[in-house]
Amino acid sequence: MPRYGFVIDLKRCYGCYSCQVACKAENCTPKGIDWARCIQAEVGQYPSALRQMLPTVCMQCDDPACMTVCPTGATTKDENGIIQVDKKLCMGCKYCIMACPYGARQVVANWETYFPDAPGDLDPYEAYAKKRWEEGRAGYGMATKCDYCMHRVKEGRNPACVDACPAKARYFGDLSDPESEISILIRRERGFQLNPEFGTNPSCYYLPPR
Amino acid sequence: MKMNPQSKWGWEVAAYLFLAGLGAGAYVFGVLVDLQGWSDAVARIGVILGLPCVFIGCMFLVLDLGTPSNFWRAAMRPNTSWIGRGTIIISLFMIINAVHIAFWIWPFGSVLQGADAARNFIAVLGVIFAFGTMVYTGILLGAARPIAFWSTALLPLLFLVSALSTGAMAIALIGTLAGVEHEVIAPLIRIDTLLLILELIVLGFYMQGTHRVEESRASAQLVMAGQLAGMFWFGVVAVGLLVPLFLDLLAGAAAWSAVLGSVCGIVGGLILRKVVLAGGVYAPLKAGRFEYALPRQ
Amino acid sequence: MRTEGSRTNDSGWIYTSCGGCYGQCGIRVKKENGVVVKIEGNPDTPAGSGRICAKGSAQLMTLYDRHRINYPVKRTNPEKGVGVDPKWERVSWEEAFDTIVTKFKNMKDPRGAYFQATTVQTSEIRFAVPAFMKAWGFKNYWVSGGGLWCGNGAHFMNGIMHAAWSIIPDWNYNKYTIYFGCSKGHGAGHAALQTAQWVADARAKGMKAVVFDPFLSTQASKAHEWVPIRVGTDAAAALGMVNVILNDLKIWDAHYLKQKTNAPYLIKADGCYVRDPETNKPLVWDLSANKAVPFDAYEMSLDVNPDLALEGEFKVNGTVCHPSFQLFREHVKKNYPLDKVEKITSVPKSTLRRIATEFAEHAQVGSTIVVKGKRLPLRPSAAIFFRGSQGHVNSGWNCLSIDLLNQILGAADVPGGSMGHGPPVSHGHPATGKPNTIPYACPDGLLIVKGWVYDHKPYPLHEPGPPQRLDLQDMFPCSVYNAFTICTPEWEKYLKDFKIDYRPEILINFGSNSVMTMANARDVTENFLKKFDFILSFNIYQNEFTEAVADIVLPDTCYLERYTPCVTFPSTFCHPTGMDDWVWQIRQPVVEPLFERRDFNEVMLEIAKRLGIQDKYYEAINNIIPIRYGGEMDPKYRLDPKGDYTWQQVVDNVLKDRLGPDKGLEALKKTGLEKWPAKVEETYWRWFAPVRVPIYFEYFIEGGQKLMKVLKSFGREDIVDIRFYTPLAEWFPCPSHENASGEFDLWAFCWRPSFHTQSSTQNNPWLDEVSVKDPFVYLIQINEQTGKKKGLKDNDIIWIENPDGKRIKGPVKLVQGMHPEQLGIAGCHGHWARGTPVSRGKGVFYDDLINPDLKHTDSLTQGTDACVKVKVYKAKEGEI
Repeated sequence: MPRYGFVIDLKRCYGCYSCQVACKAENCTPKGIDWARCIQAEVGQYPSALRQMLPTVCMQCDDPACMTVCPTGATTKDENGIIQVDKKLCMGCKYCIMACPYGARQVVANWETYFPDAPGDLDPYEAYAKKRWEEGRAGYGMATKCDYCMHRVKEGRNPACVDACPAKARYFGDLSDPESEISILIRRERGFQLNPEFGTNPSCYYLPPR
Repeated sequence: MKMNPQSKWGWEVAAYLFLAGLGAGAYVFGVLVDLQGWSDAVARIGVILGLPCVFIGCMFLVLDLGTPSNFWRAAMRPNTSWIGRGTIIISLFMIINAVHIAFWIWPFGSVLQGADAARNFIAVLGVIFAFGTMVYTGILLGAARPIAFWSTALLPLLFLVSALSTGAMAIALIGTLAGVEHEVIAPLIRIDTLLLILELIVLGFYMQGTHRVEESRASAQLVMAGQLAGMFWFGVVAVGLLVPLFLDLLAGAAAWSAVLGSVCGIVGGLILRKVVLAGGVYAPLKAGRFEYALPRQ
Repeated sequence: MRTEGSRTNDSGWIYTSCGGCYGQCGIRVKKENGVVVKIEGNPDTPAGSGRICAKGSAQLMTLYDRHRINYPVKRTNPEKGVGVDPKWERVSWEEAFDTIVTKFKNMKDPRGAYFQATTVQTSEIRFAVPAFMKAWGFKNYWVSGGGLWCGNGAHFMNGIMHAAWSIIPDWNYNKYTIYFGCSKGHGAGHAALQTAQWVADARAKGMKAVVFDPFLSTQASKAHEWVPIRVGTDAAAALGMVNVILNDLKIWDAHYLKQKTNAPYLIKADGCYVRDPETNKPLVWDLSANKAVPFDAYEMSLDVNPDLALEGEFKVNGTVCHPSFQLFREHVKKNYPLDKVEKITSVPKSTLRRIATEFAEHAQVGSTIVVKGKRLPLRPSAAIFFRGSQGHVNSGWNCLSIDLLNQILGAADVPGGSMGHGPPVSHGHPATGKPNTIPYACPDGLLIVKGWVYDHKPYPLHEPGPPQRLDLQDMFPCSVYNAFTICTPEWEKYLKDFKIDYRPEILINFGSNSVMTMANARDVTENFLKKFDFILSFNIYQNEFTEAVADIVLPDTCYLERYTPCVTFPSTFCHPTGMDDWVWQIRQPVVEPLFERRDFNEVMLEIAKRLGIQDKYYEAINNIIPIRYGGEMDPKYRLDPKGDYTWQQVVDNVLKDRLGPDKGLEALKKTGLEKWPAKVEETYWRWFAPVRVPIYFEYFIEGGQKLMKVLKSFGREDIVDIRFYTPLAEWFPCPSHENASGEFDLWAFCWRPSFHTQSSTQNNPWLDEVSVKDPFVYLIQINEQTGKKKGLKDNDIIWIENPDGKRIKGPVKLVQGMHPEQLGIAGCHGHWARGTPVSRGKGVFYDDLINPDLKHTDSLTQGTDACVKVKVYKAKEGEI
């Protein structure tokens, strides 16, 4: 069985938010919800200050904190190493949001239109997006998160953010295969996990910014 | 770098933590008084206060759920989840508390009259689960490891002391209002005085303990000098601790001071929960020299 | 599920071109039951290679934006001005047409019409705008953002030096790139998706990037080195480095200079070429023959390295003369010593010296490489620039000075060097030989571009003469647009002084929001736009422009609802500029236009028909196509002036003419594109095209003199500073550099985030959502130490005031990545239109600080200065 993973090469990422918006478009996430968030940071003092964007996804941890704290059993790890949330089981206690070190989980109460000041009904796209959100694996009041676009992966495609990335800074593959592109990148290019001190063993690795 | 606190657990969860603690605390004192035989009225107030407080607290939690219709699933994973464990502890506490109350209620009261051994057994069992409930509210937060402000053994202790103290004050308040003579309430207030002093000390240690990592330093900053400072210094320290403490020390004998002090202390207990929740700053993500604040959702 | 083709009411993928910026990458659009549900990159095109940026994905929200204009409306409030409520009233298309036709027919003088268009829909403006101008008989136009967002110095100078619209490093081989004021490869619309990969690949292969920038911009944050520089001093820094390279390091590409530039041309005391008395050809000094010979005496080839003098003093027919290279070398030595440059730029001289050295050494002068069987010079160093360098009083010279770094090392349009983005040289589709855009030489041997999108080529200079345009643009030799005439209260005086015998009457606006993109909103509106009797506007939103001044607004289609025959030619910003295939990409509707929206090009055809100028309109299109798409039209596909065409038929004719009879619209709809292989002679064209470029701009002397003569005849020599018409590259200070007042102690500048395009994307809610969470876009960045000295902290609301008393307000973000004496604002934010509620009140409107007057205008290109000296202070309680 594969253990799906990500490599995000910070050297290549220039912080354009393409992944974040591509994720929104692919998964029809409601206003305020971004499963592939980008976070900007600055370090150092003028004139030697540096800036670097950190694009994130769900880390699909091998030992996920969200699953440990989930009281209902809604959170499970599937055979591909993807952490799933069962919308029928989740009660929306948000404990997982407190426990996830990576901010991967978000919750939304209802569908808010992006055009609140406009008269009339939802436009055809928003109506479509709302329906897909409601009929898909996510929903309202429950914890929602990135699942590495499993619907695309099953069709043999990459997650939407990977295909969108202009700088080709994102790689998707199988961590359990030592010969996969991502396994090789992690070995050869000093791949690291974010905040290993939380002991969750994330499946998303980063390559150093410089 | 400005780090962000969690924003998803608000007043509802604070009310839950607070009421569960207060209810369990009141129950403990009810049992204590009962076992000591100081005052039947006070004992009954304490024991009877436990159940509705904890129950209303749980209702607040249900209110906070995104999908309340699934609330009954809360205990499906007690093997790993502290909410699961807590649900069982609190449920058992409520059942035991209900049984305890039944001893005094018609028609059970007449049947069980005189079954003191059984009542004492239930009481001891109840106290164990009451302590479980009080401590659990702190442990629950502690399992959220990226929030260092919560991940400390001092938090369950702080919540325990606060729960006992607010429980005692709740009995004192109801008792005084119900016309129970002051001499019966007074020992409770003396115990509460000690609890208030202890709580101040624990709170001091708790805040002092935040120096270890930057996210809890940010929490302490937020709580003591940032957006929550007013709530903390005025609500928790002044109103919640110092006012009842001074009233206890200076005017401990007066009924008005028992009422005022208790109301202040109870309000302070609620604000304490809120401040701790709202001050829960996430650890930054680290990539080399760069540190990233998790965005506020 | 996957059905190819473009039926617009079913499910499947439709292949077309993005319109989120002028880069116009190839996209495919997914539909489900008639609803557009996803936009992705088209994996089959080199213009994007299947990737998609934030703007591209988010355009879905623009297609269906519920704030779009869906019906024609007219203004019922007679009052015009910034912030006025126009009180729109819906009208029928018929009523709109009737009003428009009547207005045109009642004009006092057809020349009083004026076209204003957006550069975001750059492929759409190439037909209707010039065709209508020609057919109706007027010459006034403005491409919005022309003065500020792009255009004057940058495109002009790239046209002179690279036959191209812009330049970009050849990251296939580049080892060292110096950036000035541009973000190519980091979100700039220069084949954005492809170049982002290339620059990342190049960095991974060891390419070093050095970014001169007032702040730690996107590109600076990725670079190996960020060099904080004072705004508007790029030319000084570049010429200082040229000085180091030529005079200290003594490195230059002599072969290139002799064969591909005018460096060996002999210059006499008056600054002009020494010419052969008989042929009038400029002369060069042949050292082996020890005599002057015509510049073209030797074959121009990589294998021929003639022994021509680049230095020394010679006498030709009794006239003392020097090779222009020697003059240039002496000029930079004398005028750009590093001590002086450090004072101007604030960059330490040791840094300048080091970077100059690294740049010159990385160029590997003398090295060659074989690409696809062709031996070529390898020059892996490139210096590039764009809007940041050109947005100053020194617009033209900033750009030229930077490119001279490339030219002295021969690092131009050869592997590794600075490339004309496009590539500008195309031999055409194998079936038709079109588009053909091979540059050719003037009699002096200098490069002339083939085809150009402005109305005059960058070289030879436009002949100065009495102006006919309302902005006097056609009087200047190298002007593109200007604001100092039209946007100032002196406009009427200029028109009188220059004896313009007609006045502005009707403005047609296509997509532009000039109230936010020319200068401060008030000057633009009061001095320029309010002078028109009638303003017709095509827009997708009611924006600051339409609300301020438009009389009729027509609901335009967005790029997902329209046909465009080609977005990738003229090859300005779309092709990746490597050995990738050429691609001819069309734009086709993915849905029928929603509501009563109608496409601009279609409507303009209709207006032309109703005005009875249809025949002239068709003729104009016949004349435009050879210029825009390189090569004469096959008579078979020329539009018959007596015919009657729909816009789709016009598109079909263009396609068949350029690509062959089997490549009409129906054929191209299937894949959205046509590809063919690129040749080495196209991509690395420099040594294959028999042209030279100037390092000594002799012809500016004559151009300047002619201009002054014209100006003198009108008694207005005051509007040009003749010093700018010098043959030797110079840095001239901006007014901001000369403001010594201690009160105005900071420089303000604006920048562009990678996820916005000019003023057109801020109302997109997905992009707004990104912007709200981004730590910089909606905030004013100030250096932390500077801010603290002023008592500022994050999120304080401050006023920024310029010396003219104009001020803007916004929240502060204290950062380390900012030059201590400057502050930066993301441009084109802070919208206020009622029609764009998503963007309203977010961010800061920088352009309100810009004064478009003569003092802030480049005398060479008439570009407007965008840097301002300011003071900042906290807003009072009531003002927040």
